Amino acid sequence: MRILSWVYLCLAYAFVFLPVVVLVVFSFQDGRLPVPPFHGFSLQWYEKILSDTGLMTALWHSALVAFISSALALVMGFLAAHALARVRLPGSVLLRGVLIAPMTVSYLIIALGLLTLFNQTGIKLSLWTAGIGHVVINLPLCFAMAYAAMGDHQKTAERAARDLGATEAQVLWLISAPMLAPALAAAFFLSVTFSWDEFIIAFLLTRFDVTLPVEIWSMLRSGLSPATNAVGSLVFLVSITAVVATEVFVLRRAK
Amino acid sequence: MTASVSIQSVTQTYGAAIALNDVSLDIAAGEFVVLLGPSGCGKTTLLNLIGGFAEPVAGRILIGGRDMAGVGPAQRPTTTVFQDYALFPHMTLAQNVGFGLRMRGMGRDQRRAKAEEMLDLVGLPAKSDRRPHELSGGQRQRVALARALAVAPDVLLLDEPLGALDLKLRRAMQDELKAIQRRVGTTFVHVTHDQEEAMAIADRIVVMNAGKIADLGPPRQVYLHPQSLFSAAFMGEINQIPVQDGQSPFGPIAGATGTLLIRPEAIGLSGTLPLGPCRILDAAFFGTHLRAHVAPQAAPDLCLTVHLPPTSTITAGEVLTLAATDFVFLEA
Repeated sequence: MRILSWVYLCLAYAFVFLPVVVLVVFSFQDGRLPVPPFHGFSLQWYEKILSDTGLMTALWHSALVAFISSALALVMGFLAAHALARVRLPGSVLLRGVLIAPMTVSYLIIALGLLTLFNQTGIKLSLWTAGIGHVVINLPLCFAMAYAAMGDHQKTAERAARDLGATEAQVLWLISAPMLAPALAAAFFLSVTFSWDEFIIAFLLTRFDVTLPVEIWSMLRSGLSPATNAVGSLVFLVSITAVVATEVFVLRRAK
Repeated sequence: MTASVSIQSVTQTYGAAIALNDVSLDIAAGEFVVLLGPSGCGKTTLLNLIGGFAEPVAGRILIGGRDMAGVGPAQRPTTTVFQDYALFPHMTLAQNVGFGLRMRGMGRDQRRAKAEEMLDLVGLPAKSDRRPHELSGGQRQRVALARALAVAPDVLLLDEPLGALDLKLRRAMQDELKAIQRRVGTTFVHVTHDQEEAMAIADRIVVMNAGKIADLGPPRQVYLHPQSLFSAAFMGEINQIPVQDGQSPFGPIAGATGTLLIRPEAIGLSGTLPLGPCRILDAAFFGTHLRAHVAPQAAPDLCLTVHLPPTSTITAGEVLTLAATDFVFLEA
């Protein structure tokens, strides 16, 4: 029985990670096609993509959109969470529900809605519009994580700070945010990973400057190449880094 | 550094519930006042009103003669020591203690020096770079005290500051709190439900019940000569004997109809008010005294609690002639 459970464990992990492993392995393919057999180890595709200005620009765009939109979502989510946790408002429950609701809506619907809105208002599609889309999907996440982390412990500390002469802004910046730092960092890095490899919203809401997933998609239209694997591996590496960063912060909080 | 507090006809309500009902109280500058009462009596509400965490629905609060209406906690010359300490976990002790000074724009080095001085005052020298989680409960309470005193408030408000400490530590901290108050001279307003704590530290005790002041005065007066049945019973065990038209079971009492109050330790073998022969119902040894229940033959339905010297040897069923050395009569 013990062996069976180990087999099951290995199969489950294989099922999850085999595609990624294949992707990474064939990004080192010494040949023109990312399919078996494996001809030998080569870094030529990495060399190719790293010298591809279009790809590198898209990568830079993705990083910009991910960090700026996540920072924005975090600030807005934290402020909303703080307000709803501290101030008794009429319809708090409804407000909370509405804030979290975008989580349940598909990215396609959100993208279409924003696209219509931008067309109507005459706002030109750009990295900014894609960034707004990413704020829409990440704000509920940041709000929910910040709200869940707020407790009475912070509440009395905030009260004490106010009593000692702190202004509301000082309370937020010097007391509430640092006390919630682990949760806020986790929310930020999760948002970065979501924005980093998000495709549908970025595809529908960008035009001339595009993010990396959109650029990869246009690469794929001209057929399979180990170059796409190499880009994919880079994207994966960044996502993993962000997830590990999250894990480190969350684990540190648990201690 | 110190200021008087004047509470004038203050009423506070929470929805339909009346937390404070037309309360007036004058606290002198430099006085150590304890607000004492059971939970829900309004003592914490009163403290919050002085601290500016809430505004009264009616009445005025003056600190140092200045009307505090519309003045927030940050602008008031008060600071609070909270029951759960409310220390900032992400800051060192020096940063915690220096926080109020930082908010007042004091420079880093000065702040540090002042913080170390305050930590010294509360008995925590050479710990300024520790963080709150490295400390015990009693030490955290000291830091909270140092933090609140660092900004030199006119009035220090203490919200059951010793409530979370074990009994032994609480008794030790009481003495220290009193000593610190003497040294800094700040007006202390201290909330507690522990009457022994109140008697140990207060210049004046304010006994509160159901949103009103039930009694006030120095500990000795409140304990020995309570002004109300509530404060008599809250300050400690007391025998209540009904008196009808000046006639008590133990003879005439100067007064009309009311209650005769006698503390258990005020009853002994001799005294000014003879209780006559009493039958011992039961007795138990408490170390400092022998606690017995007795039924006086003059009123067999009464059951009096009596504290006799621990050396006395009595047994249930025995009859002793008892008398009270001290008693209070409260008119109904």
